[in-house]
Amino acid sequence: MPGRVKKRSPLKAPDRPYIALGLEGSANKLGAGIIKHSTDGSTLVLSNVRHTYITPAGEGFLPRDTAQHHREWALTVINDALNKAGVSLHDIDCICYTKGPGMGAPLVSVALVARTLSLLYNKPLVGVNHCVGHIEMGRQVTGAQNPVVLYVSGGNTQVIAYSQQCYRIFGETLDIAVGNCLDRFARVINLSNDPSPGYNIEQEAKKGKRLLPLPYTTKGMDISLSGILTSTEAYTYDKRFRPTGPSAEDGEDIITPQDLCFSLQETVFAMLVEITERAMAHIGSKEVLIVGGVGCNERLQEMMGVMAKERGGNVFATDERFCIDNGIMIAQAGLLSFRMGHETPLLKSTCTQR
Amino acid sequence: MATQAASPTIALIEHAEKISQGAEAKIYRVQLHPAGSSNDASPVATEHILLKYRFHKQYRHPTLDASLTKSRVAGEARALLKCVRSGVNVPGIRMVDAPEGVLGIEWIDGKSVRFLLGGGAEGEEGEEGEVDDDSTEDTAETEEDPLQEFSITQDSVMELIGTEIAKMHQADVIHGDLTTSNMMLRLEDKAVDLYVLERAFSSTHPQSEPLFAGVLRAYEKKMGKEWPAISRRLDDGESRSTARPSGTALMLCVSETARS
Repeated sequence: MPGRVKKRSPLKAPDRPYIALGLEGSANKLGAGIIKHSTDGSTLVLSNVRHTYITPAGEGFLPRDTAQHHREWALTVINDALNKAGVSLHDIDCICYTKGPGMGAPLVSVALVARTLSLLYNKPLVGVNHCVGHIEMGRQVTGAQNPVVLYVSGGNTQVIAYSQQCYRIFGETLDIAVGNCLDRFARVINLSNDPSPGYNIEQEAKKGKRLLPLPYTTKGMDISLSGILTSTEAYTYDKRFRPTGPSAEDGEDIITPQDLCFSLQETVFAMLVEITERAMAHIGSKEVLIVGGVGCNERLQEMMGVMAKERGGNVFATDERFCIDNGIMIAQAGLLSFRMGHETPLLKSTCTQR
Repeated sequence: MATQAASPTIALIEHAEKISQGAEAKIYRVQLHPAGSSNDASPVATEHILLKYRFHKQYRHPTLDASLTKSRVAGEARALLKCVRSGVNVPGIRMVDAPEGVLGIEWIDGKSVRFLLGGGAEGEEGEEGEVDDDSTEDTAETEEDPLQEFSITQDSVMELIGTEIAKMHQADVIHGDLTTSNMMLRLEDKAVDLYVLERAFSSTHPQSEPLFAGVLRAYEKKMGKEWPAISRRLDDGESRSTARPSGTALMLCVSETARS
């Protein structure tokens, strides 16, 4: 049972300080981070730099343009990370890059940078699973020991727990990711993508008053979100919908974009909290860790907190530095596996989209 | 809505013994007819039922929560009823209060398949899930195969599971959350038969203990391997309330997401 396993860590304390560079570019964020593991067992973030490819309101990011963005910014971001950390590439023990899952073109362009640096400076490569990067960094930052992990982002929606040497998926979305659902709705009502569509939905939702009925689609520990997106979108064609807010002659019975953001969040987050609770009950764990971009959402954190409290447990969450895709989490997970003796030979330094 | 002066349902829960808390409901065991209100002679009066209370989830918007709870209780009751009619082995319904989120079902004396297959008991409150537990304690106690008590093989349990699910699906009921925790194996009480007979002897033929012992001796001889399990239950001495047909039965417990 994953909830109660407490094995002694197979990882020995480092015999000397280790430094790793992590490169992330699986979606529209390009990140470079440098992490240090000291001999006393402490972990230090030396730098964590990110540049986000922001598209105009109403548009998503396409693979080709995103890859282009990463190529343009790679050197700037990496140099920035090195300068902030005050280290040179010669001091680094390994170069960690995101192997997947993610969008093909952006992944490959960042992997190319990693490979080039590896050859130039003769440093080993370590390919990192993006999801594991999120979890490891979340555990590091929050100190959660063996939590049920809710991983919610633009591309992933999973309930994960550690069991028998592996992170295992207990529940997940059956169609689109929750971040994708929110982002796409932001596009429907033409919200800005700066700093992120999800952030802007959260702000709009705070002004919403009315809870509109939407499908509630949990299936065991899985959820389905595409129908909810369609239903929310359908409200924008409703006669009562006022895209620019109520006008003077409107009565009570109107629907504003804020109401829709509010209803969407309340419904979708309730579903996420429910499947997380289910996993906690199933496994017998009392800790929840929220990771991924949607994990920044304070309403989600609040709801999860209430649930965890009802069960006598705790919720762990991080802020946008670690929730949103970043280089440091790749460095952290990569360095951990490097210290366990894992390396990715050049010939196998491929990427996977899923 | 109706919680100002505790409704009869909530009052019932207040007298109930809490058994566990699952993901979405608290489980209670209670006597449907509280002591005193019934004529003592009838054994049915002591029937226990299980209350599944979908309490208000604070994290959920109240409107959403109320409508979900109501539709889930009603849906579960409807699915159970449909199963009962089609001969699927499910616990019978004893009461439904959808607005309060309470469903009362027949109490099943048995063990979950999860437990019987060595998956541990379902998360009890408190003790389990503490990260710092020594995991050694749990693994050490594998002295006895829990299936022994039921004198049934693992293969036969699997067969029972397949059969019950098929029956349920033939009734067009989709469970939605089938797990081994949601299935119970119950020893259909042969011991109860004997217990009832023993009482019949002692009431109609006082001083008949030696006679009944003779019955038991012959019974033991004929039952062979099955006897130890039955004997143990007979010795448990709990007042078994109702006699049921013999055999080991698998019960499917229909869950919140069930739909038909």
